[in-house]
Amino acid sequence: MSDEVEPATETPAAQERDSSLYERWTDVRGEERTVAVLAILGVLLAPFLLVTLPSMLGLPSSYAWYHSLLTLTLIWAIFAIGYDLLLGYTGLLSFGHAIFWGTAAYSAGIFSAEVLNSPIAMILTGTAVAVLMAWIIGWISLRRGGIYFAILTLAFGQMVYYVFLSPLGNYTGGENGFTGVDVGSLFGVIELGSSVPFVPGGIVNSWMYLFVGTATVLAIVVGYRILNSPYGAVLRAVRENEQRAEFVGLNVWRYKLMSFIISGAFAGVAGSLYTVHQSYVPIENTLSWTVSGDIVVITVLGGIGSLFGPIFGAGLYMYVKNIVSGMPVVGPFWHLILGLVFVIVVVGLPDGVWGGIAWTREKVADALGGEDR
Amino acid sequence: MSTILETRDLVKQFGGLTATDHVNLSLEEGELMSLIGPNGAGKSTLINLITRKLQETSGDILFEGDSIVGLEPHEVVQRGVGKSFQTASIFPELTVEENANIASFGAEHGAFRFNFLRHRDSYPEVAERTRDVLDAVELLPQKDVTATDLPYGDKRRLEIGIALASEPSLLLMDEPTAGMSPEETQETVELIERVQEEMGLTILLVEHDMEIVFSISDRIAVLHQGEIIARGTPDEVQGDPDVQEAYLGGVEL
Amino acid sequence: MNILGEIIVLLVNGLQTGAIYVLLAIGLSIILGTLRFVNFAHGALYVVGAYAGLLITQKISVSNGMLAEWGMSTVGLGWGFLPALVIVPAFVFVLGMAMERYVARPFYDRPDTDQILVTFGLAIVVQELIHALVGGRSYKLAIPPEAFGTIPLSGPVDIPLTSVSLGLWRLWVIMITAALVLLVYAIVEYTDFGLIVKAGTQDPEMVRLLGIKITRPYIVMFGIGAALAGIAGVVGGPLSNINPEIGMTILVPAFLTVVIGGVGSIRGAVLGGTLIGMVQVTLITIGEVTMLGFTVNWTPWAQVGIYLLAVVVLLTRPQGLLGKEEVAA
Repeated sequence: MSDEVEPATETPAAQERDSSLYERWTDVRGEERTVAVLAILGVLLAPFLLVTLPSMLGLPSSYAWYHSLLTLTLIWAIFAIGYDLLLGYTGLLSFGHAIFWGTAAYSAGIFSAEVLNSPIAMILTGTAVAVLMAWIIGWISLRRGGIYFAILTLAFGQMVYYVFLSPLGNYTGGENGFTGVDVGSLFGVIELGSSVPFVPGGIVNSWMYLFVGTATVLAIVVGYRILNSPYGAVLRAVRENEQRAEFVGLNVWRYKLMSFIISGAFAGVAGSLYTVHQSYVPIENTLSWTVSGDIVVITVLGGIGSLFGPIFGAGLYMYVKNIVSGMPVVGPFWHLILGLVFVIVVVGLPDGVWGGIAWTREKVADALGGEDR
Repeated sequence: MSTILETRDLVKQFGGLTATDHVNLSLEEGELMSLIGPNGAGKSTLINLITRKLQETSGDILFEGDSIVGLEPHEVVQRGVGKSFQTASIFPELTVEENANIASFGAEHGAFRFNFLRHRDSYPEVAERTRDVLDAVELLPQKDVTATDLPYGDKRRLEIGIALASEPSLLLMDEPTAGMSPEETQETVELIERVQEEMGLTILLVEHDMEIVFSISDRIAVLHQGEIIARGTPDEVQGDPDVQEAYLGGVEL
Repeated sequence: MNILGEIIVLLVNGLQTGAIYVLLAIGLSIILGTLRFVNFAHGALYVVGAYAGLLITQKISVSNGMLAEWGMSTVGLGWGFLPALVIVPAFVFVLGMAMERYVARPFYDRPDTDQILVTFGLAIVVQELIHALVGGRSYKLAIPPEAFGTIPLSGPVDIPLTSVSLGLWRLWVIMITAALVLLVYAIVEYTDFGLIVKAGTQDPEMVRLLGIKITRPYIVMFGIGAALAGIAGVVGGPLSNINPEIGMTILVPAFLTVVIGGVGSIRGAVLGGTLIGMVQVTLITIGEVTMLGFTVNWTPWAQVGIYLLAVVVLLTRPQGLLGKEEVAA
């Protein structure tokens, strides 16, 4: 709305402003680089730290992570980052996000069987379908806010589940899932299941992990950029005071829809990767409302409103569900324990378990560091 | 001077209640008009109709000559109508600077953009507008304070700043001094006057504090049970018998 | 092909299915309408009612879960079905009041999403607690063929003029539901308590300003809604399986009923529940239909149909078919 032309000569104050802006700009670039580097390091070191090291140290294998679980965790982490954008930042609670994960999974699988088995093409197809679904469902569901939005997304989620179960059963395999997935080689040469040459299996055990890991790093970097874009500020403003956001001239509805679609895109990438990883599309783990419930728990438990919280949540959930569930004494109660922790988080720990850890770390550092801080 | 805002036969009915009854109001560019009336007269309803938060039952509203009844609230803001709310409507968990940034984004970028992959700091014009806004309301030193931690008077000023960020031609202010101490009220009035002069704003002010109303208004419109029962300069309105009757038992003039 | 008989069976099954939804929806709707509280744990009250009914009525054998580990091989009181019908509502009523006091009240001022999240979490906890205690297998609640030796409760009933017979218990469920609906309606319409609740739906602020302590009616309201859910669990038990997951699965149709019928409206809950029940059963019963050369199998659409219905209603008439104003947009 300001059509003023900048004066040709800059005042000293303006010059100072520009240089500090430049400083901020380089700082920011540095921040983003740091995040990218940390993400890459995290992805590369995780297998060693969580799988190989424990076995080297003699930890019983039933308590340790295994490679396939790690890969699955990264896939859920991608899903959770996108979901956090919708819930943590925009404040919209969707109980139907399994739709985007699931339709992407099915599309990727069916695409691989019927058209082209290139993994990258599978991901693109799945994501495209998820984005389309998110556009349609978001457009309809966002007409009403608050609880109606939650109920509408829940209803849609169930509807898609039952539609894929049967009447579309002939195409989707119904309750047996889609078994015709054909995951081809990456770029025509790399078999995803094979091990990476020159790299010990303890660090990266297969190309699949690298493939998923790369997607995860990209998701983190893109996610970080989105949070630092005007969207990060606008979406938070929408959550804090929707009316005010509207009254500074922002088209709140379109921003909400974009947030929904972006989160759907992340879910789509994750769902497609799921099919690539599993080579199979079971209906219960893709479209069932339990998936929608799981992503809510993962994201909230991990910590909404931060970049790492959802990733941590995915790790925590996967570990508890798959490893702790097999442990003596507490094993059978894993879901109950998670449920209780979830309730505690909702009641009093708004930054999630990750937020609680960060808070404790700070308190401990304060106590130990004293005056030095 | 041209007419910047005009309502024509504006009616709003809620079920059986007529909150706005064939209101014909016009504002000249650059003037400060106060809208007064006893509680329940329909002042807030009228404001909400102008900002499009409410849909009118019938009638028309013209801003700068064009009808705005088909627009969404954010579109009206983009056209140049700003609103300052009755309660300090800010973004509580964001910092003062972030608050102003949001308003600046709305002003610089319009209602919507696909820029979710561009970094927020790559828009120097937005940063500059933010700085100017905070400077105008004298909150620049507190730019890193979380908005909810501000004292109420500062929250109000931030709120006014947010409303001004879009450089509106018309500013609607809904009881800006409600709940303020005498010093805060004085500061706010000075702010309003200064801002109006510096930015050439037209202001429609809803107020209960008659001292303020009669000291800073160019014209006053009196609303009673949804109708305008008197309008004119402060002197004209003060002497109007209808107005005095409407206020019997209410606020003294 | 006995059309009359088939229609009667359809009607009864549809109404009975709908009756369960109605019982759940009334509580949910009133709580949402008056207390403005979204209770995703309503299904938990249903499943608790079902299990309570099970354990009071008979002795069940437990093979997994904590109780089995603690050495118990059978659990239950075995007092019979009729005592269960009386005790369960009372028990769940108290549970509901506790829920209002300790779960809902701290969250009244918190955003809707937090209410949904905490009750959703609670629902998971309840489900898992049951799972932990008695294991995940399904149980069947057996109804005695007669009450007090003379009133028939279950068993087939032959419909005159047709060759079809109905399950008697289904008719009982419809009648019990109808009676309860009338009871609740009477309470809301004709008592002071009901008046406060209705006023509270319109304007809670005003009621408070009038000096009426709104907390007591709220607690009772929650309790009544909960008790209805509990009864639904008991009367619905004999007609379906009882396992820990039924609380969650019944939640969606219950919410859909509220949404379709209209928030805060008892008549809306009745209409919505009946509609959903009838639609579901009709689609299943119609099965395969060949018309104009096209064969359509309607059965798989039975589930999809109700969601479609809910979506259409929510979009065209957000306050529901019989609802009043929108509840917090």
